[in-house]
Amino acid sequence: MSQEDSHEWELSKENVQPLRQGRVMSRLQEALSQQDSSSHTTVQLKKKEFEAEIRFYCGDDPLDVWERYIKWTEQAFPGGGKDGNLAAVLERAVQALHGQQRYYKDPRYLNLWLKFGDCCNEPLDLYGYLHSQEIGTTLAPLYITWAEALEARGSFRKADLIFQEGLQRKAEPLDKLQAHHKQFQARVSRQTLLALEESPDGDNMGLLEIAEPQRSSLADLKGRGKKKVRAPINRAGDVVKVINPNRSCQPQASLQLPNTPGFAVFDENSVSGPEIPTLTAQSWPAPPVPRAKENELSAGPWNSGRRPRSSVSSGLEVPHPLPSFTPYVDESAQPQMMTPCKIEPSINCVLSTRKPEEREDPLQRVQHQQQDAQAKKEMVMYCKEKVYAGVDEFSFEEIRAEMYRKKARKKDEDEIQAIERKKEEIQRKIEELEKKLKKKEDDKQPQPHEQAAEVMGASTPLGMQGFTFPSAKEYGEKQPQSQSEFQIYEDTQLHKPSCSEDVGLLRPPAAVPFFSIFDESSALTNQNISCSADHRQKSARQPLSVHDPVDSLSAKESRAATAACDEVNGIERLSEDAIVTGSYKNKTLCANPEDTCDFNRAAHLASTPFHRVVAQRVPAPAFSQSELKEDSPESKSAPLNQETPECEGAYTEALSVKKLSPIMEASLEDTHSSGASVSGGSLSSVTQTSDIKYLQISEKLELAQSLPAEVVTDSGGGNFTDDDVAQFLWSPEQRKKLLGSVLSSLAASPDFHLEAGALPHMVVEKDVELGNETYCIKMEYWNNEEYKMFFAIPTGCSFQWDVKGFAIKVYSQPVPWDFYITLELQKRLNSDFDQSFSENCNCYLYQDGCAIVHKDTNCFTLMDILRDRKFITKEILFLVVHDLLHVVEKLHKAEIVHGDLRPDVFFLGDRICDAFSNEEVPNALKVVDFTHSLDLRVLPRVSLPSNFPTAQTPHGQQLLAESSFPYQVDLVGIADIVHLMLFGDHIQVYQENSIWKISQNLSKTPDSDFWSKLFERILNADGKSTVPLLRELREEISEMFDSSFKERLLLTLAAVGETFLLVDFQ
Amino acid sequence: MAAGWGVGGGGLVHILFSLRLNRAAYGINSILYQRGIYPPETFTRVQKYGLTLLVTTDAELANYLNNVTEQMKEWLYKCTVQRLVVVISSIESSEVLERWQFDIECDKTAKDDNGPREKSQKAIQDEIRSVIRQITATVTFLPLLESACAFDLLIYTDKDLAVPEKWEESGPQFIANSEEVRLRSFTTTIHKVNTTVAYKKDSVP
Repeated sequence: MSQEDSHEWELSKENVQPLRQGRVMSRLQEALSQQDSSSHTTVQLKKKEFEAEIRFYCGDDPLDVWERYIKWTEQAFPGGGKDGNLAAVLERAVQALHGQQRYYKDPRYLNLWLKFGDCCNEPLDLYGYLHSQEIGTTLAPLYITWAEALEARGSFRKADLIFQEGLQRKAEPLDKLQAHHKQFQARVSRQTLLALEESPDGDNMGLLEIAEPQRSSLADLKGRGKKKVRAPINRAGDVVKVINPNRSCQPQASLQLPNTPGFAVFDENSVSGPEIPTLTAQSWPAPPVPRAKENELSAGPWNSGRRPRSSVSSGLEVPHPLPSFTPYVDESAQPQMMTPCKIEPSINCVLSTRKPEEREDPLQRVQHQQQDAQAKKEMVMYCKEKVYAGVDEFSFEEIRAEMYRKKARKKDEDEIQAIERKKEEIQRKIEELEKKLKKKEDDKQPQPHEQAAEVMGASTPLGMQGFTFPSAKEYGEKQPQSQSEFQIYEDTQLHKPSCSEDVGLLRPPAAVPFFSIFDESSALTNQNISCSADHRQKSARQPLSVHDPVDSLSAKESRAATAACDEVNGIERLSEDAIVTGSYKNKTLCANPEDTCDFNRAAHLASTPFHRVVAQRVPAPAFSQSELKEDSPESKSAPLNQETPECEGAYTEALSVKKLSPIMEASLEDTHSSGASVSGGSLSSVTQTSDIKYLQISEKLELAQSLPAEVVTDSGGGNFTDDDVAQFLWSPEQRKKLLGSVLSSLAASPDFHLEAGALPHMVVEKDVELGNETYCIKMEYWNNEEYKMFFAIPTGCSFQWDVKGFAIKVYSQPVPWDFYITLELQKRLNSDFDQSFSENCNCYLYQDGCAIVHKDTNCFTLMDILRDRKFITKEILFLVVHDLLHVVEKLHKAEIVHGDLRPDVFFLGDRICDAFSNEEVPNALKVVDFTHSLDLRVLPRVSLPSNFPTAQTPHGQQLLAESSFPYQVDLVGIADIVHLMLFGDHIQVYQENSIWKISQNLSKTPDSDFWSKLFERILNADGKSTVPLLRELREEISEMFDSSFKERLLLTLAAVGETFLLVDFQ
Repeated sequence: MAAGWGVGGGGLVHILFSLRLNRAAYGINSILYQRGIYPPETFTRVQKYGLTLLVTTDAELANYLNNVTEQMKEWLYKCTVQRLVVVISSIESSEVLERWQFDIECDKTAKDDNGPREKSQKAIQDEIRSVIRQITATVTFLPLLESACAFDLLIYTDKDLAVPEKWEESGPQFIANSEEVRLRSFTTTIHKVNTTVAYKKDSVP
């Protein structure tokens, strides 16, 4: 600290109010230096902090906050006065704590009142009030201060009364009170003696009073007179006092003692009694009449007392008399020694302060306020106490922000705790599982069954997380940590119940629960067998409880199963060829479907026993429904059951040993997918397919047209021309078939409404009635012959761009496909199902069509963002791409392919449209349209993605080979949307060294590294599982969301928001 | 006393000593007045160092102070004084409320030096003046002394010094939980004086 700095206070000493308790030097330095540099912000921030604390204090001692606030204000604003606004703070504090009985004996509370008294013109009234209200009447400071105030006004007698009262009440600390009383008495007696000595007729002026007359302060000193200029002598002092009453140092209150010559000796016994009761009787509610007002002229005649003002001529040079004293000038006085300017312009904006016209005295204001509060029975319908709690006014936004921050902090803490808990839990689980694994291994050791041992042996080196499951029952249990580990093909899970049952069948005594680990390759190889077994089982297993495969090992059931087997075996022969065809068909790698070589090769498989699909003939359609229902919970849990394939592995091995010829085994690789497709077919409860399929193929699709419904069930019929297949895939008949089986479960949903009559006609700007609600259609997003998408609001509401409404999807066929997909998503995603999808949708099924109403939808789509390039800032771009990847990731996780990702199917979520709302809005995009979606769990192995609209675009045709996985269709859709956002046109690709690249030059775009990586990975994702890919890319983006991202995003949104709302839609 | 000194140099040193002593007396007077230890009416105005200073008219006090300054003069000349402390304490509770401390750094080589040390009297006076002014200004931050107070003078000397009559040894009388403020210092080339005031801190920071 340099010498100069540390003595700053000396230069400002005149501007620092002394404090009773002293000042903290560091605070003083800080306050003074800050005033200079006008970096007042820290002080203002601190003040704000206090203000906020007052409003949101939840402890049980609000006085503490106020006390600290007041003490801080005293220290931080050494100048006192307006910038600190101590008087206002005290006033607020007194008001806020009014009526709090528990503080009445608290010295802090009394201190507060006494400090407030210093700001009042008439502290005596205040002391009277305190006394009458019993505030601090047990505390000495009240009496001391009161008596001092009275003494200062010359009311010695009253002052003594007050001391007596205090002593009577034994106010604490008593010794202090006594000491003060003694000193007071000493002072009074000395003064009286002196006064008596010096001026027998005088008054009680202090002994320092100098005899010569003095000028009154602030009096006019301007020279007057024409010839003889003289400054008016306006004398003050005891001599003139009578003439100049306004200058009196004693207020002229009637309460006070007159200046009696000679001090009456106080008689304790005679006076103390009657005087005090008058004080207590003083009722508070009546505000004291303003008295002792200064500078008030008494009324008098107007024509008298005029002064000859005109006599002074300004031009006249007036020789002022030289002063008889010499003002001392410091020789070393330097200009920088000037007292720093203490006026902070931002604070002391004099013009803007509104002067209180009435109730000048803060005490009166407080009184009035309290009276008003008692008198008025108004109900305040906003958080008035929060807005006006402190000295500064808080805006609603500030209050809300504060509450939000509080909530956010709490939430963060909770989250951290939850994560900790979860971590522990997982840790525990892992340990448990490891222990179990070990135990299992020990158990297994003596097992003669080699298969199991083998499987186990294989599992360990795979390095996957070794989960063991003590019983098949646990399959259905959720294992969140393993959920995302693997992707399983749908068909494998469908067989789960039967698998385990088969295991039981093969090894009835053991019923040893399998631990198992998912191994994709083994799952694939075994699929066909497993599924054939499965279907056989399914057909026969109606009485069995699917959920309890282990229990189903009863002899009876085994018998039933074997019976079914027999039955199936009997039938099997008839349709061997179909199997062959199946395998043939699904050999999608084959370039030419009519290649006879393949056919011939497939023909070798004639004797394969795996195609027992025909067993499907046995169940009647009626049964299939219940069957399916039964299946749905299974399938829901399916992704969690990595272990299932292992079970299959075990039993299918056994099966193949028994039933397959070596040749057949060899051909498994080729045929597995046929099995899958067949199983899909089976679910849709179409029976005769196999034969027909065969016919179809061999007769080169001649029958395709005549039997569309049956054909499409085998969605793997990938060799059809695009048009045909597209038609089949999306044909209402086919969907009706699919949904027919689940219709009852759909109908069970509370959001499903079966309506009689025809679908109402919907036109823009017309009302339409759906169910019990009437909607007013506001716009149309798209419209082809079958599908329409509208935006509507409830009738009677006025339409605003930023208000949410209803997205209504209309389908001209009575097939609630979108509704089905939405429900499935909800089921399969569980907690992941969020605002990215329609959480609130109603389905109205009419005889000739259906309408699906999605509540709480914003009217903007991604298309609207794309209309104007200036919306696409870096933040929005990343946000949208992030959410796009996320949505698709979720869809794929639920084994649903959207198939038609275009900018206009994505409605904008609240993250963009309502970014400033209070709530957490995690989603920027919302998908409600699933026109071309495919449920791969129901229709697995659609090997030709060209059926999808995306695949029919130019880039789609380029990118999607016939062999591509259907999931890749969505990747192409994503790539196109990202490209549209980046460059404004559709993606164009070319192939270089068998790597797909986009024709656009990315190097000029910001973040080109990331985008080129994204395109490279998305376009070249052949055969890879899409979910991990999407997740990786998404996580990479979320890493870019740093802490400031949210703010930047809000800024961008605010900037574009204005224009955004003005986008012309039509 | 002046045995070995040359006329010029010795004279100057002597003057400086007197100055210092006067200053000490005035400083103490100033403190006693400012802090209201004695009633204000017992002080009278004196022009000194270009400042109006207040000097006590209380005979007893003046006597006491004279006594002290006489003793101080001797010690100062021998350069054995390290510190002069004015302690203000409450009469009733005898609690120390304020502690004014003047640290004196003596240059003990000064006695042996023959050459006079040049520092103009005016410069020294300016420095002294600024210190006295600062003492006046301390009311801006010092707490109010609410009860009747007494003062004590403590003088820290070198250890080997014999305690004269009328003096007694005492403790340092520190204030617990105190706030310390350094005031300006001044130097006479032989003595450097640092002034510090310590006072009781308010309970709430």
